[in-house]
Amino acid sequence: MVGVTASNYSRAQLAAIASVRWQIFLHSLRSKRGAVELFSRIVIGAVITGGGLGGAILLGGLAWYFVSQGNPEALALVLWPVFLFWQMFPLMATALSESIDSTNLLRFPLSYRTYVMVRLVYGALDPATVLGTFWLVGITIGIGWARPGLMPWSFVVLVVFAAVNMMLTQMIFAWVERWLGQRRTREIFAVLFFLAMISLQLIGPMLSRYGDRSNAAFHWAGRFANPIQAILPPGIAAGAVASKAVSHTALAFGLLGALVLYAAVILRILSVRLHAQFRGENLSEVVGRGKDEVSRPGVRLAWKMPGLSQEAAAVVEKEFRYLSRSGPVLLTFVTPIVMLFVFGLGGRTGSGAGFLQNWPELGLPVGAAYALLLLTNLIYNNFGPDAGGIQFFLVSPASFRSVMLGKNVAHMGVLAVELVSLWIGVSLLFRPPTATAVLITLSGLLFAAPVNLAAGNLLSLYSPKKTEFGTFGRQRASQTTVLASFAIQGLVFVVAAVTLLTARHYQRQWLAVAAFFMLATLAFGVYFFVLTRVDRLAGRRREILTTALCK
Amino acid sequence: MQQNAQPSGSPTLTSVPAISTANLTRRFGELVAVNDVNLRVAPGQFFGFLGPNGAGKSTTIKMLTGLLAPTSGRIEILGLDFAERTSEVKRQIGVVPEGLALFGRLTGAEYLTFVGRMYGLDRETTAKRSAELLEFMQLANEPRKLVTDYSHGMQKKLALAAAVIHGPKILFLDEPFEGVDAIAAGTLKSMLQRMIARGATIFLTSHVLEIVERLCSHVAIIDRGVLVAQGSLEELRAGVEAQAPGTLEAEPGRKLTLEEIFLHTVGGVRSTELELSWLG
Repeated sequence: MVGVTASNYSRAQLAAIASVRWQIFLHSLRSKRGAVELFSRIVIGAVITGGGLGGAILLGGLAWYFVSQGNPEALALVLWPVFLFWQMFPLMATALSESIDSTNLLRFPLSYRTYVMVRLVYGALDPATVLGTFWLVGITIGIGWARPGLMPWSFVVLVVFAAVNMMLTQMIFAWVERWLGQRRTREIFAVLFFLAMISLQLIGPMLSRYGDRSNAAFHWAGRFANPIQAILPPGIAAGAVASKAVSHTALAFGLLGALVLYAAVILRILSVRLHAQFRGENLSEVVGRGKDEVSRPGVRLAWKMPGLSQEAAAVVEKEFRYLSRSGPVLLTFVTPIVMLFVFGLGGRTGSGAGFLQNWPELGLPVGAAYALLLLTNLIYNNFGPDAGGIQFFLVSPASFRSVMLGKNVAHMGVLAVELVSLWIGVSLLFRPPTATAVLITLSGLLFAAPVNLAAGNLLSLYSPKKTEFGTFGRQRASQTTVLASFAIQGLVFVVAAVTLLTARHYQRQWLAVAAFFMLATLAFGVYFFVLTRVDRLAGRRREILTTALCK
Repeated sequence: MQQNAQPSGSPTLTSVPAISTANLTRRFGELVAVNDVNLRVAPGQFFGFLGPNGAGKSTTIKMLTGLLAPTSGRIEILGLDFAERTSEVKRQIGVVPEGLALFGRLTGAEYLTFVGRMYGLDRETTAKRSAELLEFMQLANEPRKLVTDYSHGMQKKLALAAAVIHGPKILFLDEPFEGVDAIAAGTLKSMLQRMIARGATIFLTSHVLEIVERLCSHVAIIDRGVLVAQGSLEELRAGVEAQAPGTLEAEPGRKLTLEEIFLHTVGGVRSTELELSWLG
């Protein structure tokens, strides 16, 4: 092609992609929503930076301590948490991590190298990478503070360690995306992932309960685990710094080489995935025809829900069907029960016990608050999973009030099921909650739930974002919603804490129940006030709703 | 060039129009996407709404169906003011919007059941009509398949089924034949012709002029936000021939095609008349 040479191809393409991203960002600021989103990003960015700096100071301090005490091999103790956080956070906090859909780029004559570069650069903008980098900088400074001569070497080692982490995150995400590409494997994977999470969380309580009896086994496991950790990236990085500290230069270089080898292997495995994507791999959702062709069940009657309008009942039915087909979302609903189990697994009583063993009356209220907190992911972005379906709500004769009410009832239905499960769980693990605990929990929820529903209904109209329930990396709410949810949860928590502490101070628990009922009256007033206005709001914001959810 | 070619005294003008707009305007900042559009569609018409890309077709259909608020002007559907009697109007119309408005994680039957209930049908009627529509659209073979797993053609058919489940008097279709194979298109056309035979009004936008010419009795053309022609195909043809006698070379006995009328009306320049110096 005239005017284009191969040598400047990649550079020009990367520049063009960066320029397009910048222009998209600038254009997003033209709307009020874009400006609010930017503000939210800045606030959340400041929070992440704060966390990064705090962690950097803490880990830097520990690194300084280990090196100055002549125990640099203990650096593994600070590098392992960084490594685990870096790898686990993007999978666990899917609301804050977003996978990259780079398929749009594939229609251009991008070289594979450029494509990989784009993917890696995007990956570097992930919160886990930002925080991990902050912490590694802190560790490097800590090492340098203790032994200035060790700083340049530590810097090199930790840069390679950072690259390993960054590429490994990308690799895990790319493969997870591959497995999640099909609905069935996605849901199987979600179950396996969840079981793995539970297993990890059970380690602490299990050790606490059975630690005394299995000390020998624990020490044997420790002896067994230490050599293994030493050949994994955090152990190797710590070993490389420690070897240099004791002037074993050859070993230090050898370990650095091993770290580079890790990076190369990870890049190779990542490359398999990226290459498949680069060749235009299209992960199909199509399921086998199987039984469908032979069995033709008639159309079932719609659900009947006394007390609800026909439209609201239809929305409740639709919401339950949606939720029942969304593995990752369903699993978040059982998390409160699992947490109860985990916290209930401590030693019997006393200092070694899980905190719920010591204060079992808190089981129900804490579990209920946690359940409500998890539900806010749905409540605050009501239309996100509907995506293009929002157009149906806009053209149908049903009022948005009915639609919102249906969604709210469905979400509260989930909460009610969770409450019953929590009650059973608390009864089995500890003892049946007292009537007072039940009353405080219910009255507290009667206050907190309508506040969250009212805020959620407004945020769903003001900052909607298309989400995909079935995919880990595509459930991210808008930054405005995330920020607003922090503020609302903070407010609800403070009000509830003040109420409970006041009641405790006067040793009159009914006081908390009475106060919560009064607050609930107010909260329901706000909820219905918002509900009566959602039609007008939705009408005014229909263009924004369709733009945000249909793209 | 304005060719509002409906002859006065036409019987369609004496009855309440199915769709009428008065000075319908929509601005996006400085851009006037739709400018003072006065549409009039009589009941029972199969009405094609045409225009080049970016002319304002989708914006107009979005305003007519409630997906977008007009900046000014008035919309009446079956004599009812859309802004004042929104819910009543929406009960009378069916819509297949550009994005199809489907819910991906429902099966076809569940989706139709949901739509039927949202339009106020009772449970039994909803179930009966859903089953019939799934059979008619040849979507009943895979009842457990989720909408997200449907092919594009299947999704279009399902969207049309959902748009007609409540028996609307007017059907709005935004590019219904785009990306649809010949078999699915045949099913869609058959459904639309049945509706017309039963007295419904259909308002569709399409880029496929052959289909519009074959299906539609009346056509309007919008260009750069302005309605430049409106009437039956014969009226538009006569209008073009009267305006530019001899300039369009139709063989003797052959009528001007809709494509020729369209190109003449919007002043389209065929790309073959232009040259790209670097393309050789």
